[in-house]
Amino acid sequence: MSAAAKNIATEPQAQPGPFDGWLRGTGDDIDAVAGGLSWLARERTDALARVRGQGAPTAKTEGWRYTGLRSLIEQDFRPVDEPLTAVVADDLEDVLVPGLDAHRIVLVNGRYAPELCVTDDLPKGVRVGGLRETLAQDPDALEDLLTRIAGEGSHVFASLNTAGMDDGLVMLLERGAVVERPIEVIHLSVGMDEPRVAQPRHLVRLGDGAQAELIERYVSLGESLYCTNSVLEIALGRDAILKHRRLQSESPNAFHITGLYLRQGENSRYHGVNIGLGGAWARTDLIMRFAGEHAECDLVGLYLAGDKQLIDYHMDVRHALPNCSSRETFKGIVHGKGKAVFDGLVYVAQDAQKTDAAMSNRNLILSDSAEVDTKPQLEIYADDVKCSHGTTVGQIEPEMLFYLRSRGISAPIARRMLCLGFAGEIIDALGNQALQDYVAEQVGQRLEQAPI
Amino acid sequence: MSATPEDAVREAGQYDDLVKSEYEHGFVTEIESDTLPPGLDEDVIRAISQRKGEPEFMLEWRLSAYRKWLEMPTPKWASVHYPPIDFQSISYFSAPKKKEGPKSLDEVDPLLLETYEKLGIPIEEQKALAGVAVDAVFDSVSVATTFREKLAEVGVIFCSISEAMQEHPELIKKYIGSVVPATDNFYAGLNSAVFTDGTFVYVPKNTRCPMELSTYFRINTANTGQFERTLIVADEGSYVSYLEGCTAPQRDENQLHAAVVELIALDDAEIKYSTVQNWYPGDEEGRGGIYNFVTKRGDCRGARSKISWTQVETGSAITWKYPSCILRGDDSVGEFYSVAVTKGRQQADTGTKMIHLGKRTSSTIVSKGISAQHGQQSYRGLVRIAGKAEGARNHTQCDSLLIGDKCAANTFPYIEVKNPSAKMEHEATTSKISDDQLFYCRSRGLSEEDAVSMIVNGFCKEVFNELPMEFAVEAQKLLSISLEGAVG
Repeated sequence: MSAAAKNIATEPQAQPGPFDGWLRGTGDDIDAVAGGLSWLARERTDALARVRGQGAPTAKTEGWRYTGLRSLIEQDFRPVDEPLTAVVADDLEDVLVPGLDAHRIVLVNGRYAPELCVTDDLPKGVRVGGLRETLAQDPDALEDLLTRIAGEGSHVFASLNTAGMDDGLVMLLERGAVVERPIEVIHLSVGMDEPRVAQPRHLVRLGDGAQAELIERYVSLGESLYCTNSVLEIALGRDAILKHRRLQSESPNAFHITGLYLRQGENSRYHGVNIGLGGAWARTDLIMRFAGEHAECDLVGLYLAGDKQLIDYHMDVRHALPNCSSRETFKGIVHGKGKAVFDGLVYVAQDAQKTDAAMSNRNLILSDSAEVDTKPQLEIYADDVKCSHGTTVGQIEPEMLFYLRSRGISAPIARRMLCLGFAGEIIDALGNQALQDYVAEQVGQRLEQAPI
Repeated sequence: MSATPEDAVREAGQYDDLVKSEYEHGFVTEIESDTLPPGLDEDVIRAISQRKGEPEFMLEWRLSAYRKWLEMPTPKWASVHYPPIDFQSISYFSAPKKKEGPKSLDEVDPLLLETYEKLGIPIEEQKALAGVAVDAVFDSVSVATTFREKLAEVGVIFCSISEAMQEHPELIKKYIGSVVPATDNFYAGLNSAVFTDGTFVYVPKNTRCPMELSTYFRINTANTGQFERTLIVADEGSYVSYLEGCTAPQRDENQLHAAVVELIALDDAEIKYSTVQNWYPGDEEGRGGIYNFVTKRGDCRGARSKISWTQVETGSAITWKYPSCILRGDDSVGEFYSVAVTKGRQQADTGTKMIHLGKRTSSTIVSKGISAQHGQQSYRGLVRIAGKAEGARNHTQCDSLLIGDKCAANTFPYIEVKNPSAKMEHEATTSKISDDQLFYCRSRGLSEEDAVSMIVNGFCKEVFNELPMEFAVEAQKLLSISLEGAVG
């Protein structure tokens, strides 16, 4: 039993912060989970100190300039305490992607739910499980992964997650393991009688030369109100290839925070597609680091912010080594009173010669009260590099709409067609027909329903 | 670039010589100065105001600015690094001694004229050369003003701001601080409290200013901060082009320069403001250069008005400036064209703000940054399209050219759009002079230096095209001199 971990629960709080409630009772939790791992207890104590020291970001904090936290703080979330066992396989029917052939892993309110998973025919060398059980059975497998990639994280929510993590997904691929079929991870959230926050921590490691396709989907049952504050730590070994698709389409009352921390080994490839269809308030941080040369990181994204929704994507790509390349291609459609924030930073250190980095962010605004704030940044300290960024904000050309309408297509359908044309490039990048159809349908529906 | 290691060594040696080429305009003219002792309090401000014989309202304005300034924090957000400035060690007033106001050049201290000649700005010749009227500011007091009569004929007021306060207090009272309020930022607040002189231009309705107006700023007495204030008002339907150029003598101590420039364009008016800045950048280690913390802002108050900023920034140890346009009037236009060069240990954090408030407003931003040796450069820009700015349009292009592997080029654009009919484009690139380009030029018999100069000039052409003719030539020359020794 670690004394440090115990302190998390018992130590009197120096100054009450807006997120203190998120951590209530976690000290006992982690003792149950970590079984007295001193390194983990230390990380969590430090994280707690950071949470108390930093307090909540304000509008003056550069990373939160356009993203207000008031609505999040007002909810006064409490942690999810008991695993929810009431969900049965039938409940999943509504959220499944028709025709998607994949291994399936399910987490309910941040807790690994083995009874809902379909993982029987996973090939050898692939290990999938919950964070809680893996820490109890084989903590050594995670010692170089858990908190090692995210470090202190980029803001207070990463620290909150470290201090308050209760469970999560662990997916470890041994050297050379290749998974042919995609692995689908369903993060299902179910509202409780009072606003709850889940803080899952997910860990993914691909050994040297391993290959996999990971489809993560954040979904909810009904219009529940909840918050998910998740952190993903991904380590790619030498020559590993990970295709990572993240679909976030949650209840209109959901709050969502994700910090994705990636470390790429030499000559590895990461191809990530982020589709953000929202919830009430969503913030995603993608933090990419290269640990070996000749690695490639390709980030593609589409976000759709409708009425009173806020969608915020932050990207931080740091080239510290030579010969790596990174691409960020994000597109956004904003309608109603929606608000979208894009903040991308490409940093090229002095030694990172021959870096090839390109960032593009294009936005369509469909209504008078929508707002787009975009901030693509380059910080370059090496000379032999190819770096560029571009960003546009515009509306659908009236001529295009007129053309379609003059051919007898109603305005909502015409608008849907044009928007899907705009978004098509990103949807195609999903590279899986069932998934593409599913996303196109969802995007199309949302646009058709939106008031003009 | 080098074929063999021996070549590399040889080339390095060759460039060393060039790198050491000294700042051309480095010298101090010894003129007796009427200088206040260092330090800043309300008495100093009263003394400045009294010496300048200002009307009462100006003193009140200065004092209120000073009181607010005391409460303001020093800005920390720019990516520039410098030791904290001791505002009490600066002398806030320094006037070259004079008996009476000079009526013509003959009465001007010959030493001053000599300084201008050393800089290659022969005032006599300029008088003869058509087109340019010079209100030369030597330190803080205007000592030579030319072409006043000619301008007066068409009703254009072009004088030092101190004179304007005495002769046209109603205009000053109406416009000063209306674009850059005293509380705007730390350095603007300081300037409002202690500014000693500057330029005032008023162009009356439906008047096209018959010549390009020009002021050469000079920093002279050691330990003197220079706080210039420029106010240009273009009344309805008028046009004026204003040139600002600077050089400074070499010295050891860092010198703070916190100027404020306010432009106001009423209906259908156009103001074109061009700057060539070549202040002392410091030695190889960055010691002793000028700190250039400037607030420049233009207000397109009237419909169909236009404000255009063009700048060529090669000097100063630290440049911190964002010439901005507030596009308030419907159909108003804002432009920003910039070339900035940083080498040695120079740091520049520069860019612009385009605030679209009126309908169908449009803005263009072209920023070219060249960074060599240990130069640090950031483009920081804001394009804000407000909810009512129907049909607003912006195009932004910022390109960076890196020469050497120890320099840096950063781009921090902020884009905020709240109107669906807006069209906003932003693009940025960073690259170096490619070996292919160099090889092509050299295979045609150009030396590497010439080839680089040619490529760099091509890179900046879009901006140079916006400069008035005389300035464009000067700017090209300046760029070549600045980059001498920086290549390799």
